[in-house]
Formats: sequence, structure tokens, C-alpha cells
Amino acid sequence: MIAIARYLAAAAATLAAGLAVAQQPAPPAFAPSNLSPAGVRSLAANCAACHGTNGKPAAGSTLAGLAGKPRNELLTAMSQFKLGTKPATVMHQLSKGYSDAELAALADYFSKQSR
Amino acid sequence: MSMQRRDFLKAGAAAAAAAGLAGCAGLPGGGSRARVVVVGGGYGGATAAKYLRLFDPSIDVVLVEPNEAFVSCPISNLVLGGFRTMASITTPYTGLVNNHGVRIVRDMVTAIDTDKKQVRLAKGEALAYDRVIVSPGVDFIAGAIPALERPDAQARVLHAWKAGPQTVALRRQLEEMRDGGVYVLSIPEAPYRCPPGPYERACQVAAYFKAKKPRSKVLVLDANPDVTSKGPLFKKAWAELYKGMVEYRGNSKAIDVDLRTGAVKLDLDDVKGDVLNVIPPMKAGKVADPFVTANKRWCEVDWLTFESKAAKGVHVLGDSTLSAPLMPKSGHMANAQGKACAAAVVALLNGESPNPAPTLSNTCYSFVSDTEVVHVASVHKYDVAARTFKTVPGSGGVSSGRNELEAGYALNWARNIWADTLS
Ligand code: HEC
Repeated sequence: MIAIARYLAAAAATLAAGLAVAQQPAPPAFAPSNLSPAGVRSLAANCAACHGTNGKPAAGSTLAGLAGKPRNELLTAMSQFKLGTKPATVMHQLSKGYSDAELAALADYFSKQSR
Repeated sequence: MSMQRRDFLKAGAAAAAAAGLAGCAGLPGGGSRARVVVVGGGYGGATAAKYLRLFDPSIDVVLVEPNEAFVSCPISNLVLGGFRTMASITTPYTGLVNNHGVRIVRDMVTAIDTDKKQVRLAKGEALAYDRVIVSPGVDFIAGAIPALERPDAQARVLHAWKAGPQTVALRRQLEEMRDGGVYVLSIPEAPYRCPPGPYERACQVAAYFKAKKPRSKVLVLDANPDVTSKGPLFKKAWAELYKGMVEYRGNSKAIDVDLRTGAVKLDLDDVKGDVLNVIPPMKAGKVADPFVTANKRWCEVDWLTFESKAAKGVHVLGDSTLSAPLMPKSGHMANAQGKACAAAVVALLNGESPNPAPTLSNTCYSFVSDTEVVHVASVHKYDVAARTFKTVPGSGGVSSGRNELEAGYALNWARNIWADTLS
């Protein structure tokens, strides 16, 4: 009897937990980062709209280019944007879309592009 | 006259032959090189064409586009405000040819034959392809605004939602309007191209009126219940910069226009104006019709490759796609998709597997006056369970307030994305 009551209580708890999970949207199941050369190249392509193709700014750009800058300088800036310790209009919001490993790979990629 | 025309046609045929395009309906790519035909030279298609060549220079890339030059929709609202010229938002296609070896065919695509793997052109030729990328942007849903089926009505009530001659014509209507007149902007139900675009347009027209026709009004009729993008920022701008000038009405879907009285017809009343700017509801660009699978409007794709769910070997990108959740139909997004699609097509043509973890990002800058800007930004990653893109939790957001610093960054964005797309 006690066993059954305990079983029922446990079942009810499981059910309640299940409902709570069902009511919340499932957290995204993002694919693991692709840090192969082609994967990083595609990741870096997202930066081109504001920083130029492969980090080389278009004529008349007001933002400095990313291409050929020291890896550490780039990574420090991006990490600080992500942490919110470097003032930004937009980079604090964009950098949070990338994992720390992705930011490191991006810094590596842009540091190796010719200016 | 007929002589001149014949000479012109002959010259055209000679140019096509010289470019190696005559009779190219034979072997794909005319030999061992794989050929990709890109349909549409907007933000999506032009970017895809350039990046195909960057990622794999052995691929023969042919871009089919009817317009002589690229005219940017982003920034075109500033032409309506009188703060920018058409020339400043126009970029030639020559960069794609000279810097990247993309071949450009100035023509309209009439059909895509997925059995023969050919793109048929209005001028009669056909282009063979190994893979085709379809990026035609949007078209308007026929019959949604019945009176606008007539060409003379279309010339009077403009949409100006594709930057070009309509932008110039709408600016002229605004210039010719009397001071004290009413400009009515009708916005269709979402999803439509450029979610914040209509609200930016209301700001730009108001900025022009404030400077030149201060007794005039901007009346926004929105089919949506509320401002669909950056709502608080736009409403603050209307209240603080254009007090008493901009009036916003939600849940106000246009069902027709009355050309005789000069009114936009809503369900319950008619709204008269001196300049009517009606943006009809949208669907995938016409050439993508065979690949429309959702609500008779949009094309569903496999988000890892952008391959159509309706046809093999056909990739659809940009505004024509059924957007992933929270993904805007924007020039920036089409540019990002163009690169992701190009990478996938290159992988497939080389017998490799496409990137299993693509990332896309977007930023839409809107000018709320000639000097102040607000943005919305997002980062989208591929969700393997849902097989679609989702925004990365904690990333993205909007400006904390309108500001001048970002006006500089917005123009910097324009410069760089135009170069990234076209040179
Ligand atoms: C929408 C435009 C936009 C995009 C896209 C963008 N950036 Fe930025 N970036 C900026 C702006 C604007 C700044 C100046 C800081 C600010 O206001 O956010 C900046 C600054 C930076 C800086 C600091 C440069 C310096 O000299 O201080 C780095 C590094 C950087 N971005 C890297 C990236 C990388 C890597 C990406 C791609 C993942 C990227 N950005 C994508 C707009 C952009």
C-alpha cells in the first residue's frame, strides 16, 4: 500500500516535471561548431558585411579592417565585447552568437589574411 | 529604325558568341568544368555568384539578371527623404566580371527545366547547369489589391518596394505634393521584405515634410497589429522628432484602393490621401513559383544546402524562402545566405559533405532621421533536431536608443556589404 502510494506520488511528480518541460520550448540543439578550414571560412564570411570580404575594408570604411591584425588583439577585443567590458554599439550583441572556440578560430583566421 | 534594331540584334548575338554563351545548352558547363547558373543579381544571388568563384575558381558561374546595375533597397528610403541620390545606392555588376570572372547574362529567366537542367531565357537561349541557384527576391500577390491590377493604376499608386524607377517616381510625387497634404503608407501583413523598412520610410518622409512641408501628415496603415520591428524605437522617434506629424494605425489592412477618390480602402472605412504608397502583400519571386511549397507563397529549403524541397539541383535563397523562425527577409540575410549556399554548392559539386553547422547573422540599420539610426541584430545557428536555423540565446538585440554614431556605422555597413556582394 505504502509502496503503491509512493509509486503514485513519484509518477505524479514525473508527470508534473514532464508537463513543465513540455510547456517550455525545447532549448536549441545546435550542431557542434565546425572548426575545419572550410567551416571557419564560412563563419568568417559573416563578418564581411561590415568589415569587408576576408576582413579587408572597402574604400571609405570607417571601421578598421580585421585582416592581418595580430591574433591576440582581435581575440581580446572580441572576448571583451562578449563579456560586455568593451563599449560597443553592436559587437556586444553579435559576439554572443559565437562560442569562445569560434572567436579564437575567427581571430586566427583574420590574423592570417593579407591586409 | 528597323535597320538600327537589326544591327543592335546582330551586335548582341556577336557579343553573346564572344562571351561563349551562344548554343551553350549542350554539355553542362560546355566541358569538364561544373557550371552553376545563378538567377537574380540582388544581395543573395550576386553574393552567391562571387563566393562560388572565391571558394572554387574552377566552377563556371553565370549570373542572369535583367537590370543593368544593382540598386540597393537598404538606404533607398533616404532617397525618398531627399538625403541621398539614386547614384549613391547604385553599383555596377562589372566588379563581379572583372574581379571574379563571373559571366553575366542580361536577360530574364522564363523557365527552369529541372529535367533537362536548363535555364531558359526570354531572348530565346538556354543555359545548361549542374546546379542552379534561384534568388529572385519577392513579387506581389496578384489580386490582393484588385484596383492595382491595371498598369495605369500601378503607375499612380506606387509601392517603391523594389529600389529603382519606383523610388524616383515616389520621390517626385512627394515633391509635387502640396504642403498640408497627407502621405498614406500601407504596410502588408508579415512576412514581407525588410521588416523595419516601412517604419524607416515613415521617418524619412516625415523628415522631408518637417524640413519642407511642415503642415503635411504621414499616415501609416499597418495590416499588422503593431510595429513589427524595433517598435519602441520607431514610436519614440515619431513622438519626439515628428510630433503631431506621424499617425500610426495598427490592424489596418488595405483591401483595395479607390483611384477616383484617392483613398486606401480598409475593412471598415476609406482613408484618403494626397500620395498613396501601397505595399501589397508579397510572395516568392515569380521565377521561383515551381518551387513554392508553403502557403502558396514561399519556398522551403534544406537549410544545410538551400536545396529546394520541391526539386533536386535547385537551390533557393533570400527573400523567396520560407524564413526560419525570427529570420528576417533582408538584404543582409540574403548576403549571408548567399555565402552559406555557395559553400554548400561547392562542397556538393566536389563530392564533399556540406557544412553541418552553418551560422548566419543579420543587422538591419534604420535611419529615423537624416542623422540618427537604430539597429536590430541577430545570430542564427543550425539546430540539428529542428533542422532549421534558430537564434542563439543571449545574442542579438536592438540599439539602446537612436544615435548618430550608428549613422556612420550604417553607411559603413552599406559600403562594405555592397563591396562584399559586388566587387
Ligand atoms: C553589423 C556590422 C558588423 C558585423 C556583422 C560585424 N562587426 Fe565587428 N564591428 C562593428 C562595429 C560597429 C564595431 C565597432 C564597435 C561597436 O560599436 O560595436 C566593430 C568592431 C569590431 C572589432 C574591434 C576592432 C577594433 O579595432 O577595435 C573586432 C575585432 C570585430 N568587430 C570583429 C568582428 C568579427 C570577428 C565579426 C564576425 C563574427 C564582426 N566583427 C562582425 C560592426 C560589425
